[in-house]
Amino acid sequence: MSSLSMASRNLRRRKARTILTVSGIVVGVALIMVLLALTEGTATQTNGLIREILPAQVTIVNATTPTGSGAGIRALFSSGYNLNQSTVAEIAGLGGVYAATGQLSSTAYLNGQTVLLAGIDPSSYPLATNGLSIQSGTSLSTAPSDQVVISDTLAGQLSISVGSRVTLGPNSTGGAPYTVVGTFSSSTTFLDRSVYIPLSNAQGIAGEQGKVSEVYVKVVPQENASTVAAEIQDKVAGVRVVTSTNIATAVSSLTGTLTTVFAVIGFVALLAGGFGVANTMIMSVAERTREIGTLKAIGARSSQVLKIFIGEAFLIGVVGGAAGVAIGAATSLLLSSLGGGAGAGGLGRGARLFSGVLAPAITPELVLLSLALGIGVGVVAGIYPAWRASRMDPAEALRHV
Amino acid sequence: MSDPLMVEVRGLAREYRHGDFPVAALNGVDLAVRRSEIVGVVGPSGSGKSTLLNMIGGIDRPSRGSIVVDGIELGRLDERRLAEYRLKKVGFIFQFYNLIPTLSALENVELPLSLAGMDKRKRIERARSLLERVGLEARLDHTPDQLSGGEQQRVSVARALSNDPAVILGDEPTGDLDSKSAEALMELIVSLRDEQKTTFVLVTHDPIVVARCDRSLSLRDGRVVREIPKGEGSRFADSQRATMDGLY
Ligand SMILES: Nc1ncnc2c1ncn2[C@@H]1O[C@H](COP(=O)(O)OP(=O)(O)O)[C@@H](O)[C@H]1O
Ligand SMILES: [Mg+2]
Repeated sequence: MSSLSMASRNLRRRKARTILTVSGIVVGVALIMVLLALTEGTATQTNGLIREILPAQVTIVNATTPTGSGAGIRALFSSGYNLNQSTVAEIAGLGGVYAATGQLSSTAYLNGQTVLLAGIDPSSYPLATNGLSIQSGTSLSTAPSDQVVISDTLAGQLSISVGSRVTLGPNSTGGAPYTVVGTFSSSTTFLDRSVYIPLSNAQGIAGEQGKVSEVYVKVVPQENASTVAAEIQDKVAGVRVVTSTNIATAVSSLTGTLTTVFAVIGFVALLAGGFGVANTMIMSVAERTREIGTLKAIGARSSQVLKIFIGEAFLIGVVGGAAGVAIGAATSLLLSSLGGGAGAGGLGRGARLFSGVLAPAITPELVLLSLALGIGVGVVAGIYPAWRASRMDPAEALRHV
Repeated sequence: MSDPLMVEVRGLAREYRHGDFPVAALNGVDLAVRRSEIVGVVGPSGSGKSTLLNMIGGIDRPSRGSIVVDGIELGRLDERRLAEYRLKKVGFIFQFYNLIPTLSALENVELPLSLAGMDKRKRIERARSLLERVGLEARLDHTPDQLSGGEQQRVSVARALSNDPAVILGDEPTGDLDSKSAEALMELIVSLRDEQKTTFVLVTHDPIVVARCDRSLSLRDGRVVREIPKGEGSRFADSQRATMDGLY
């Protein structure tokens, strides 16, 4: 008889009580699993999003551009908060700035569909930003032209490809003819409906001659980004300077706080589960006093008795941990499919964006961590009752009826 | 009487504390049991029978005096050694059998072998042959609740025999059995002694047991008050249990 098989039979002898005890661990583990999966996934998604919304180290916008969660993003695509194009040259001339480029963002219609139009300067854009990840065809040529680069998602939706002729203009009808020279891969929903054309063309379509909405800056060496950003903020009038690192830091500290809060909730639940295990084990040790006395009388060492009872707690932890991981994973997947369903159902860009961010990430580390938590709580909760069992005086225990 | 001494008890005393003042459960008991003897211990309730048995079995320690079993001086053993002593040198039979309820008959008999570290194949083989010896070859996979009291007590005899002990200690082994099962159990015990020279010390109230013991000690207030030879004990075999009082 291994102590584990004795333990498992004892657990099966009192099924209802065992199920009740195990479920305490299940709830705790599942809760921790879902919450950690959500925060982990959210953090990853948010960082990806920041990189795509802010394609450069340093981004400069008009100082009057509204801030706040949704407002900031929407403002990027509305006129009225634009900067003079001369600001680009002014910033490019500052020390530490390796390259600067201006972009005008607005909305337009491509073949009658609303798109997010970005006018860029093809010669400086690749120097100052991470560039576009071209999937097929080429990027915009540096010579003035009627070329457009569109997202692969949009290309798929509109059934157009490199070489296609499209119509682009400020209204849903009419517009000027453009040639699709390339598609870029849009890894998040944010860029799905974006199209890139030369800056001067975009200024024409938007009616914003000589204006840009953002200036992107690259700093060399990279470590100086925040110093240079501060200097730009200082020397250039009427701008607000945003660095991707300080946003990322803010977001990660926010998600860090969320993770902590969620983890605390989960740990409280697990703690309650642990008390359940301890309670059941203490009850079981008391009920089996005579059995423990017998075990010792026939020659079991204290350590062997300890092993049998720790084994019970361990099994409760294993079963509770495994079921908790399964239920936690299922709940996470359900949550993410609910989110995805809402987006696909046409609640619009905002909903899709949101659902993309709420993507639980179930990593092998998370599974192992959750399982280990379940087992750990079970075993720790079992230590005291098992110790009491092992320390029982056999003669006294045998007098017990 | 050339058989060697298996159990040797000298000046044994045991006090328990009841609140502030000590109560003497045993007060200077001497006892010598030779190999292949069956010795009974009788006496009124509270006279110290179980206390004596527990100390011979190494599950309780004396306040004074010494116990030597198969040449081992129990007073010298630490907790770990004492557990090993119980495992290898002693077999216990209890009034309520005390089988592990979750284990089958076979597994109950395997348990002490498993605690002693015997490998699975060997211990299954040994447990099976012991159960055959006590007449339970058809009950190997039954759990205690599927066995009668008499059958459970036979399983516990097989369990007590498993590590080939120097002495088997029974605390009222027939106390929960009907007289037919009690007779059968004593039959088994006597035949084990005849075949394998197993040594028994049996605490009892039961004339059926006393009748089959080679001799019995009568305890009162923690002392041996008389020794009852076999002939005298057997005269009580057919009498009512109440008449046992005459022996004390
Ligand atoms: N663990 C103990 N604690 C306190 N008193 C005990 C303990 N064990 C036995 N006693 C006392 O010792 C005396 C003898 O008990 P016991 O050996 O069980 O008697 P018997 O088995 O002959 O009925 C009784 O008075 C009993 O109350
Ligand atoms: Mg007693």
